Amino acid sequence: MKRFFLFSLLLSLPAWGWKESFSFEQLPNPEGVDPQVGAMGVMPDGRLAVAFHRGELMCYDASKKQWSMFARGLQEPLGMLVENDHSILVMQRAELTRLRDTDRDGVADEYETVFDDFGMSGNYHEFAYGPARDSEGNLYIVLGVASNGAPMAAEIRGEFSEIGRLNRQQMSDLANWKKNSGAAGRMYARVHDRGWMIKISPDGKKAEPYASGFRSPNGIGFDAKGRLLVTDNQGDWRPTSPLYSVKKGGFYGHPASLVWKSDWDGRDPLKVPVKELDAMQEKAVGYFAQGELANSPTWPVVIPKGSFPDAWVGATLIGEMNQRQLVRVIDDEVDGQFQTAMVPLFDGSPLGMGNNRLAFGQDGSLYVGKTALSWPGSKGLMRIRWNGKEFLSVDAVKALADGFELVFSQPVAQESLAKIAVTRHTYEYHAAYGAPKKNLEKLPLQQVERSADGRRVRLKLGALRESYLHSFDLRSVRSQDGNQLLGDRAWYQVVKAPK
Amino acid sequence: MKSVLRIFAILGLASSLAHAAPDGAQLFANNCAACHQLDQMVVGPSLAEIRGIYQGKPDDFVKWCVAPQRKRQGAIEMPSMVHVGDEGLRAIYAHVMKVAEGVTVKKQQQGDPFAASREMTKRPQVQRIFMPDSGPASIAVAVDAQHSLCWDAGACRLRYMWTGGFIDGYPYWKGNGSSLATLVGQVRYTEAESPFGADKKVKFRGYTMKQDRPTFHYQVGEMRVSESFSAAADGKGIVRKISLDPTPASDLVLHFPAPQNGTVKVESGQWREGKLTVRPEQASSIVLHYSFP
Repeated sequence: MKRFFLFSLLLSLPAWGWKESFSFEQLPNPEGVDPQVGAMGVMPDGRLAVAFHRGELMCYDASKKQWSMFARGLQEPLGMLVENDHSILVMQRAELTRLRDTDRDGVADEYETVFDDFGMSGNYHEFAYGPARDSEGNLYIVLGVASNGAPMAAEIRGEFSEIGRLNRQQMSDLANWKKNSGAAGRMYARVHDRGWMIKISPDGKKAEPYASGFRSPNGIGFDAKGRLLVTDNQGDWRPTSPLYSVKKGGFYGHPASLVWKSDWDGRDPLKVPVKELDAMQEKAVGYFAQGELANSPTWPVVIPKGSFPDAWVGATLIGEMNQRQLVRVIDDEVDGQFQTAMVPLFDGSPLGMGNNRLAFGQDGSLYVGKTALSWPGSKGLMRIRWNGKEFLSVDAVKALADGFELVFSQPVAQESLAKIAVTRHTYEYHAAYGAPKKNLEKLPLQQVERSADGRRVRLKLGALRESYLHSFDLRSVRSQDGNQLLGDRAWYQVVKAPK
Repeated sequence: MKSVLRIFAILGLASSLAHAAPDGAQLFANNCAACHQLDQMVVGPSLAEIRGIYQGKPDDFVKWCVAPQRKRQGAIEMPSMVHVGDEGLRAIYAHVMKVAEGVTVKKQQQGDPFAASREMTKRPQVQRIFMPDSGPASIAVAVDAQHSLCWDAGACRLRYMWTGGFIDGYPYWKGNGSSLATLVGQVRYTEAESPFGADKKVKFRGYTMKQDRPTFHYQVGEMRVSESFSAAADGKGIVRKISLDPTPASDLVLHFPAPQNGTVKVESGQWREGKLTVRPEQASSIVLHYSFP
């Protein structure tokens, strides 16, 4: 009986979507190079440009499976923007640099400092990310803050802020750091403009502080509609990892950076009442559920035509370090408020973890560059290709006054919808590292309505709650042909609830 | 729209999220597996080691997971697992105790696996990295196998030169940059301030590369400065060339101390007691030859 049950279970398990529709290929690593990937881009000639942990920037020709060296000796490159076949902007710890091959021998001979007017305390956690470029050519970079896992160095670059419980000497006193570090704040921003996004004019000559409140924003990029997206990492003041749509002058929640606000009143941000900080902060447009969807989200990229089904073209795809999956973002809008649902991609596939940087090749291949930097992760590069076969997926999630509408890529079987399970919870905004789910509640399905074409499903749940992350367990859903979902969970952050 | 929708009611779904016991293996996979392997340390200690520490102490295990601290030299601090909840953490505990039973810890590989690679051993070499006794925006330069220097891109000045090799960057590279590179060899020459004086406004403009040797470009006030370093022809030192644009209208005094251990010769200008006086026509090419024993 038991054996028969197992057998029929196997028969009833449809093939995973990724196996039917995608191939995963490990790229050869360049010889003698630590293959932890910090930045990726695609050259107009089709080659993939990859910057590694120890500072090599190499180009990969997929047709020949060959690597060539473009530049060397960079420090922790964590973002790049290819300008043309001979010029690449790259963000290093210390500066935004333009690498140029002026004599056209395939190797950069100019390392031009485009922008370095920001502080460095020498702390390991002060990573720098970017650049993203807007339609007018302005560049945006974003600067992570320091960790109290280590003090500042004896020598710093840029201005030091006296605001804080520890003075300059104490902040760099390694011998007494264990005793003092608690007073520094879990993450600190005692040197110039840490925790800020900076906007740089196209010619690199003008720079302005653009937005504040960032912690460890390991992802910056414009989406298909021109919104400037930033991902940040769960930690202090980050109950779970957020996705932000950044606006000029916005404060994005991590208070350490406030000391660099031009009109800041001089208070220690850690002594400002949480309520006051909460009222100041801009709301996340999406949340990556910690331990479920993503623990350390990374770079956002826009899905181009040909790489995934048409319904996904223009959607944002985001990498993730800890969980063995990527994150697909589904946009929604309520009364002009942009908000998102997030769905896992390639869970259960050979993808693995450490998915730090994403780039699409001209043939639609998705390249994933991996890193760890002593955190959970991996190394090397993976190429993922879609073979054009359609599969079952959630393509839209729309907030309604009394629930949600889900749009699927294929007609779904009516009887598979009854077991859809929806919960919601919120988070407390606080200085502590991470946070448990708060006010977790189950939302019983009051009614399920399926459209005549079988692709649209309305879940009647009652009124939605603002500032709540609504989680959908869609594992039971099947297409009419018996296909399982590629991405069978979804998390929708209700910033604004429809009236 | 509504008329095209087929409607069916949902019955008896309220119990779909009943209180099932948490699945320790699944919770472990989602929250812990990225850092903790069965028999060897990766990001955090192995399950075999954790079992040794926490066997019979589930309360201590939960306490640690909710409020972890930095315990190990060179390892990152574990993030709090508070979001998993007490019940979930106890299920993870049971899972770990079970799977790690009888497992022994494997030894880890020591040292830099890329130390002998072509990329790490080629000379000359330019490498940005956190350096000792310099600012955080430092650049290490090996002009040849024996002679190296540290350039500070923040202060726009040479910090020191050393002989005997280049750097060991592994303390930085093996992790996330929480350690400095170490020097291979002995420091022979140190500059306490810029040759142009400590009080000048400076701006770094980057560097150009020719045959793998850098020329640094920076601004001192209104003056553009280029400074390059190359190996001495006899293989016993470093040739340093500074050129100013525009050249100054009158004599310029630059500060260059004598090497602690070695000699310096200037091609032009008057060098006396740490001060080099150059005439305007000499300022487009100031060349110093450093020789070290």
